[in-house]
Amino acid sequence: MALPLPPGLTPAEVSFLAEMELVTVIPRQRLDSIELLSGKTPPLRPPHRADLPLWLALLLKKQRRANILPPPWLHPDSLREIIHQETTVDPQAFSEPPPARHPRADPARPGRTLPIHQDDDGFILSPPFRPGSCTADAPVGFLPYHWLEVAEMLLAHAADDIGAPAGEVRGLLRDLVEVRAAKLRNSTSVLEGFGGGLMSLRGVGAMELAESRGFVLSVVDGVRKIGASTEAARREAEEEEEGADASDEDMGL
Amino acid sequence: MDIDDILQEVDPTVYRIPQEKRDLQELTRAWIAERSAPELLPWPPNDLFERINAAIKRQIERVEELTGDMDPKSNFALIVIQTELERYKYLVRSYLRARLAKIDRHTLHYLSSDALRARMSDIELAYATRHQALLHNHYLSSFLSSFPPNLQNLNDAVGGISMIETPDLDTAVIIRLLKDSFVEGRGVDSDGALQMKEGDIVILRWADAKPLVEAGKAELV
Repeated sequence: MALPLPPGLTPAEVSFLAEMELVTVIPRQRLDSIELLSGKTPPLRPPHRADLPLWLALLLKKQRRANILPPPWLHPDSLREIIHQETTVDPQAFSEPPPARHPRADPARPGRTLPIHQDDDGFILSPPFRPGSCTADAPVGFLPYHWLEVAEMLLAHAADDIGAPAGEVRGLLRDLVEVRAAKLRNSTSVLEGFGGGLMSLRGVGAMELAESRGFVLSVVDGVRKIGASTEAARREAEEEEEGADASDEDMGL
Repeated sequence: MDIDDILQEVDPTVYRIPQEKRDLQELTRAWIAERSAPELLPWPPNDLFERINAAIKRQIERVEELTGDMDPKSNFALIVIQTELERYKYLVRSYLRARLAKIDRHTLHYLSSDALRARMSDIELAYATRHQALLHNHYLSSFLSSFPPNLQNLNDAVGGISMIETPDLDTAVIIRLLKDSFVEGRGVDSDGALQMKEGDIVILRWADAKPLVEAGKAELV
């Protein structure tokens, strides 16, 4: 077997991806820039902050060479705000993903701006490489795509850097996980009538998808297979109708 | 690299994501897509893979050089470099294995037309061809040769049913929109068509998602 894994990323693979999210660290030791395959790391000069990939930040943390600055959305107040949004303001949908930042003016369209994750060649960065998701300048009150994995890893390896009691953050995260898991489960009632052919899950997280993808996608495929003859009959009828319309028009002409 | 590239690099008004970062983003995107899509996707264009492999090779050589001097300062840098190297190698390996698994599963299908053959790299194509030849010879010597000649084919399409198994292109996938787009999806009871926003995560059939992914308007997640 070349690859004994089911289609779609597994939770282990998703956390591998999440380790590439950039986080902000406060170095405790000097460290020169290292030439990595993904580019040079910024030189570390205490007490200046620097953005590093999470895997490297965790390595530095383990060796007590740096402290990790938690992303602002992980603060208890921000988490409470998101829970309020998810339970009271809009109990159906997931909360919005972080808004794109637009720091550059668009030369082609005066007055408009360009998002930071897209360069002038039209190349688009997506999570885990999208800037400003888990760094110290991330927006408050929005969950990035890899929120659960990053939060869990920070709690596991850098709990003393979180700034708030780890127990409180853990409790809030658990509430959030439960609220959102219930939403994903409820979406199966939409799936039953997966007639429209499209289902939007805007704001869902990577780990939540990895956990439920097997179930959700097999329901969609199952519905399709059960309804294959219905669908074929419907398409035939629609085609005939179109054909009939066309011939009607011909007659009229 | 021609003069335009050099000019563009020094031009501060052009915002360009550095090449190393672009390569990592593209490799990651290709890996996620290959792990999620029901069929084999085209081999990445623009020598992405050759570039990444060359970079990995160079980095391994650097590690070999660095292990020579026992300076404690470069020691930590070495750990970081090696950790990153292993992460890259994992990505590349997993990507190639995901492709091999698909080629193994539907070898005859991917060898059946030029358009499908073009999706494979030279090495993958050589592998698929030789593997299929070995398998065919083995079948011939062990049992096919005792069948009547008209039953010896492995790619018959008699009675409207082809012997060649093909991947199910209507399998549901999950995509994320990279640009605001008009998305159409076929369903059992009715078809859907919606104007959707950048960042939307949508479940739909692969056959409907494919044009969006190929146009760079969406990516698989």
